Amino acid sequence: MQLQAPGPWSLLFGRLTLDQIPYTNPILQVTFAVAALIGLAVIGVVLYYKKVGYLWREWLTTVDHKKIGVMYIIVGLVMLFRGFADGLLIRTQQVLANGPHAAGFLGAQHGFLPPFHFDQVYSAHGTIMILFAATPILTGFQNIVVPLQIGARDMAFPYMNAVSLWLTTAAAALVMISLFVGDFSQAGWVGLIPLTELPFSPGTGVDYWMWAIQISSVGTTLNAINMIVTIVDMRAPGMTWFRMPVFSWTTLSTNIIGLTAFPVLGVALALLGADRYLGTHFFTAGMGGNLMLYTNLFWIWGHPEVYFLILPTFGVLSEVIPTFSEKPIFGYVTMVAATFAIAGISWLVWLHHFFTMGSGPDINGFFSVATMLVGIPTGVKVFNWMFTLYRGRITYTVPMLWAMFGLFLLLIGGLTGMMLALPAINYTVHDSVFVIAHFHCMVLMVVCAGFAGVTYWFPKLFGFKLDESWGKAFFWTFAIGTITVFTAMFALGFEGETRRLEWTFNTAWKPMLVIEEVGMVLYVISLALFAMMLVVSIKNRNRERLGADPWGTSRTLEWLTPTPIPFYNFAVTPQVNTRDELAWRRKHELANAKPDAYEEIHMPSNSGLPVILGACAGIFGFAMIWRIWWLAALGLLGIVAIVIFRSFDKNAGYHLQPNEVEAMERNLAIGSITSEQPDRSHHSIHAEAH
Amino acid sequence: MAGSHSDPLAHPEVQQGGALRYIAGFISTVLLMGAALIVTMRHDLAYQSFVELVGGLAFLALLSQAALFYGLDISRAQIWKSVSLILTVPLFIITVGLTVWMFQSLDQRTMVMPSSAAAATQPTLLQ
Repeated sequence: MQLQAPGPWSLLFGRLTLDQIPYTNPILQVTFAVAALIGLAVIGVVLYYKKVGYLWREWLTTVDHKKIGVMYIIVGLVMLFRGFADGLLIRTQQVLANGPHAAGFLGAQHGFLPPFHFDQVYSAHGTIMILFAATPILTGFQNIVVPLQIGARDMAFPYMNAVSLWLTTAAAALVMISLFVGDFSQAGWVGLIPLTELPFSPGTGVDYWMWAIQISSVGTTLNAINMIVTIVDMRAPGMTWFRMPVFSWTTLSTNIIGLTAFPVLGVALALLGADRYLGTHFFTAGMGGNLMLYTNLFWIWGHPEVYFLILPTFGVLSEVIPTFSEKPIFGYVTMVAATFAIAGISWLVWLHHFFTMGSGPDINGFFSVATMLVGIPTGVKVFNWMFTLYRGRITYTVPMLWAMFGLFLLLIGGLTGMMLALPAINYTVHDSVFVIAHFHCMVLMVVCAGFAGVTYWFPKLFGFKLDESWGKAFFWTFAIGTITVFTAMFALGFEGETRRLEWTFNTAWKPMLVIEEVGMVLYVISLALFAMMLVVSIKNRNRERLGADPWGTSRTLEWLTPTPIPFYNFAVTPQVNTRDELAWRRKHELANAKPDAYEEIHMPSNSGLPVILGACAGIFGFAMIWRIWWLAALGLLGIVAIVIFRSFDKNAGYHLQPNEVEAMERNLAIGSITSEQPDRSHHSIHAEAH
Repeated sequence: MAGSHSDPLAHPEVQQGGALRYIAGFISTVLLMGAALIVTMRHDLAYQSFVELVGGLAFLALLSQAALFYGLDISRAQIWKSVSLILTVPLFIITVGLTVWMFQSLDQRTMVMPSSAAAATQPTLLQ
């Protein structure tokens, strides 16, 4: 029943031939050269400093939630850079390819990107930014912060946590490989149906898109299970539900959404895969198929996914704003209620993504009202943040600036969202760049919260702050760039520019397209400033030794641990007495209290299996894309073998003895770093094997 | 959620598992879903009977997985999972219900076919 894909196929290499490597494309030549240089530089540094063993022992095989979180964020930042490069290409193409007389370069009729290439660029931009940049960055924060905030030593399932990371990384790698081997989907990040069906997209682009999302969504679903169980089951004594920090609450609601929504995406993509690989007709126009069903299934996942991104963002703001206002969050209970109200309503609004499909007025009316309802709990949140700021002792640190700008973007994105919730307006501006400007305000709010989170929690993880001056320069350039690009984009939406245009035919759009490009230049400058912030901060890292609470006004449990955080998190599991435990302890002069006695600590052992499992998943995905059946079978066999091997693994971790903990805590007091686990490969006296 | 944190084998859920149970769950699921696939591919049932039969087979497959793979019941060890499964029911009703409502309206408004063309096509799931 297998459907024959067009083009040559061989048993050994499937559809993969030398022609599939676009080595004649000058843009990809430069990209490949830059990527290869960066890759070689990283490998060179690792080899020069003889860090291969360290990298394997401490990072690649780690099951420590903090290191896994850091790696999630690194993957997210790399993909954010890639997604930004795609955005820059889109904007530059549109400004160059304006009007009937626009010149063409590099083989394009107008601008420098032919439609075949441009379509891949915007499809990759959306897919990457949402699924491979924003999602891993936010998952990274949740990994790092939540166990600390609830007083746990690690996630409930540390091994599964590593599996989730490496599945996400394998999927991100597939997206990157599509740059140099074959091509990427041309059907948009949403997978416009029937464009994704085999007769309309006979290449491997859609397969790259489909398998990358499928593999990463398995990782995200596993991570959602892990997060929910961690929060439900691993809270420290005294950490009752209503003492839990708002970020942990938002993480819980986010992952309930993740657990219930991602399987829908998985099913939609599996059915599409059946259409493409087996010749079924789930989403075809005839033979009993229904192409609108795909759009419906995609957005049943897609809208909850929006809140999957937004809710943790709200959580970050709810941590940053009280810290730099020196006040507890206003309306804690309503904040929690609003979080869950948003999560609940997120399941009732998906049809607003296709109001124009042709449903009746009663259906559009229902989804319109449901969409507007989101404004109520969101409004509650905004007012709560405002009242937290009101009469607070506000310090405009870099994280606070990001949080404030995030609030501003929420306001603009939220109000334009209310406009789009009205079907009458939606019909007018549907598929115009007005919609693009609206949802970019929302996702840029996620980016703002991302940078707020990075600058806020960075000193806790690494023991030094990111440079404030460079950080502020980065912030202002980025903020002004954002306003420049998206104000012009809102205007272009009203002028009738539709989305995904490779050639902007209307010359009246030129001034606004130029303004957008100016904004993009500001973004490029801001990236350079971000790099400078990192370089200067790392260079000056030894100037100031930071204590447990580098900001001095933090309120939650993660700031109770030493800085940088030891691998066992808390020497003694903390007893929680109230909400905002650290603020309470500071007030009662208990913040630096030492325990009377130390206890034995049970820790999980590192494992190389998750990274190998991730590699097998990547090989399986690559082989399925190119229809190299033997390799796909091998990849799948590898995954099954690892799962079986792991189930017979009797290593249940090891125990740190009280005297070891005491010694490490004493060393911490004199500035030694114990964020690395002791090497137990030669003495397994406390390793537990049964 | 009851059980030891350090010994995976001590978890009641793990102790409940058994080869016989897993094999029975696997075989029954494959048979039920295979039957649904055959019924769908044969196209020889009336629409109403077809939906009822495939829906029934899907429900039985779900039951066999819940009972044989997960051992769901209301014991202290399993109540969390049982309640979690029940909590997805409203979500299921919302998504499937609203989808059916939407497609019914869509069908009437956008998929009107001449009677000759309609007779030539096989029924779609929601017709």
